Amino acid sequence: MSLLEPFALPYMQRALVEVLVLGALAGAVGVLVVLRRLAFVGDALTHTVFPGVVIAHLLGRSLLLGALAFGVLTAVLLTFVGGHRRVGNDAALAILLTSFFSLGVVLISRTRGFTADLTVFLFGRVLAIDRTDLVQTLVVAAVAAVVLAVLHKELVLRAFDPEAATAMGYRTGRLDLVLNLLIALVVVAAVEAVGTVLVIALIVVPAAAARLLADRVAAMTTLACLLGAAGGWLGLAVSYEVSVDRDLRLAASATIVVVLVAMFLLAAALAPLRRRMASR
Amino acid sequence: MEPDPLLELRRATVAYERDPVVEGVDGAVAAGQSVALIGPNGAGKSTLIRAILGLVPLTSGTIRVLGRPPQAARRQVAYVPQADTLDPEFPVSALQVVLMGRYPRVGWLRRPGAADRRLAARALAEVGLAERASSRFGTLSGGQRQRVLLARAVAQEPRLLLLDEPFNGVDALSQDLLLAALGRLRAAGAAVVMATHDLGLAHLACDEVCLLNRHQIGFGPIGTTLTPELLRATYGGQALQLRGDGVIVARP
Amino acid sequence: MTLLDAFGDGFARRALLEAVMVGGLCGAVGVHVLLRRLPFFTMALGHATFPGVVLAALAGISLFAGAAVFGAVVVVVVALLGARERVDDTSAVGVTLSGAFALGVLLLSAQAGFSRDLTAFLVGSIVTVQPGDLAVTALVGVAVLAVLAALHKELVLGAFDRGGLAALGYPVLALDVVMLLVIEAVVVTSIPAVGTVLAVALIVAPAATARLWTERLRATMALAAALGAISGVVGLAISLQWRIAAGATIVLVAAALFGLSLVVAPRHGLLARCSN
Repeated sequence: MSLLEPFALPYMQRALVEVLVLGALAGAVGVLVVLRRLAFVGDALTHTVFPGVVIAHLLGRSLLLGALAFGVLTAVLLTFVGGHRRVGNDAALAILLTSFFSLGVVLISRTRGFTADLTVFLFGRVLAIDRTDLVQTLVVAAVAAVVLAVLHKELVLRAFDPEAATAMGYRTGRLDLVLNLLIALVVVAAVEAVGTVLVIALIVVPAAAARLLADRVAAMTTLACLLGAAGGWLGLAVSYEVSVDRDLRLAASATIVVVLVAMFLLAAALAPLRRRMASR
Repeated sequence: MEPDPLLELRRATVAYERDPVVEGVDGAVAAGQSVALIGPNGAGKSTLIRAILGLVPLTSGTIRVLGRPPQAARRQVAYVPQADTLDPEFPVSALQVVLMGRYPRVGWLRRPGAADRRLAARALAEVGLAERASSRFGTLSGGQRQRVLLARAVAQEPRLLLLDEPFNGVDALSQDLLLAALGRLRAAGAAVVMATHDLGLAHLACDEVCLLNRHQIGFGPIGTTLTPELLRATYGGQALQLRGDGVIVARP
Repeated sequence: MTLLDAFGDGFARRALLEAVMVGGLCGAVGVHVLLRRLPFFTMALGHATFPGVVLAALAGISLFAGAAVFGAVVVVVVALLGARERVDDTSAVGVTLSGAFALGVLLLSAQAGFSRDLTAFLVGSIVTVQPGDLAVTALVGVAVLAVLAALHKELVLGAFDRGGLAALGYPVLALDVVMLLVIEAVVVTSIPAVGTVLAVALIVAPAATARLWTERLRATMALAAALGAISGVVGLAISLQWRIAAGATIVLVAAALFGLSLVVAPRHGLLARCSN
């Protein structure tokens, strides 16, 4: 099986660039998501951008813009909704997530081709990425990368010791908002390519795998980016080869996720060995 | 003329939804001075520390840090929490934790420089952990982690240092090193406020004491304020007990 | 009245019955989900049953059974993963959810010319509920409620103080598994009404709403069940009237009730707290 041959075709090249960029970006942001146990927040965002995409679709506007608008709205809401004493964070998130998603479903159910649209949104269409999509992804990724680089040390401090961060004068509420916005940006950039349910995999799985093997944030981030990008590449190659050789159509986005999960399981198996080797 | 106190409390009261948690705290701490906050569990010691940090609002009264409200003075104040609230699996080294103390001075957008690293390394050496600088924070013992958090506070170069039960569950060696580091900070002109159960250590580390049991029972020099009568009033008549090494400890 | 007229047809009556049963059942279980902080897990469960549904469709067996079996597998996998060092619970759920759903998508996409409409399982299709489905819902509902009633005090104590329950000699892990399986049964039962993605809403929202109105646990459960049933009925009526997706409408009604309560509930609502 060749890992390079599939990428002679232009549409595969675009797909490859898309997943390499997304994989690396999602891996880097994912480190903070995993360290702060925010996987649910990421998952919530993948659902709440759906009505934005639907509305943009119905209005004939850019889907990315629609997703972005709702992503930002959600990030802001999430930052303020948590903290109510009688309503746990998780419950509030679940209700927010499902009501937004339901809004999208209700809107889309009045149009024809309801199920087809829903399918594309949920599963993505990375092989149908055109130049414009790719440029949009790169722009969003660049913005997110800059924000992440600039605020990295403060975000890590807040993740490790929020009380000390506040005591030192940092506004943890604002830092949380920034992280939520970063997650929203990643989700928005990735939704068209891999679909909503699978975006969360890009964010959580490489970082969770890296956490098992790394003892420093820098190492964890590097590893997460590498795993994310590698998973994208391998997944695309495998799904292509299997489709061509065995005549078995495997959705590219799903294959990528399965590869990533396999990497995670491998990391989980290797972790105890590494710990034994590394101790003192 | 006496210099202005670094910390000043005037009838400070904190309440959560109309229930006062701690009230009527009144006193001042000058540069180089050290105050022990002493009282039973639930007395409001942690709450008072959080109020001085500006983490909880006052219901009435005032707190002034360096003449300003707490939120305005945060860069000059360092906080040493109890180490067991932190995630032991977090991928940071001891030195990286100490470096975090430099962030407010380094500022946004920039990374800690060589000077910051030297300062952090020195702070870590002061608490006797120079050779563990590259170890992951979670691999250190409880006492060692507490020392790292103190080194972080030292690295901040604060004017006021707040500690919450810094000696809880800490081994004897770590205790001595913590005390020595605190002494050096005081000699350099910082003021220290520490909540503690341990009356013996309070005697060793502090020259003033604030007795709390949801309200202030006394605030003054340790010799005249840490008396059996006031202690009984603070602990509500609960018995005091001797530790194995013969030191009197108030039963929490 | 137009709303009542909407329930004239056979399919609508069946849908109504299903909505009431599912809504009530979800509300009752939802309180336990909140007590144990399991909304994320419940949502992941909903997603993770998808491959089971696909497999069952391919094998031609009951989709319900496929979802149920796969859901049980997921429960075990999440428990095992989360027990490992450096894998926290949310990451374990995130990884399992992604992996399971991707597996479902892969299986689905590998079928050339596969034409069954599986989106009904993602967002529900209550208007195509058959009498057989109603019977299953009723049976599962009775069984779940019986288990919850029988183990009420143990489950509540276990949610509040696991250590205390263990100290009293109860098999804490077994009780946890029972709870997870109960949740799984309810999620799977809700699939015809609201689908896997939205099931968590009907489980969590009525219960969260009820908690804003009352302090006592049994009252909360009763209120949650009632709110769930009401959301089902009102949501269904609106969806029939305006010809929009039923499952999603039911969820929106439940969420609206929650939002309203968040503002007006005495003691815990926003208005009440502002006036303090």
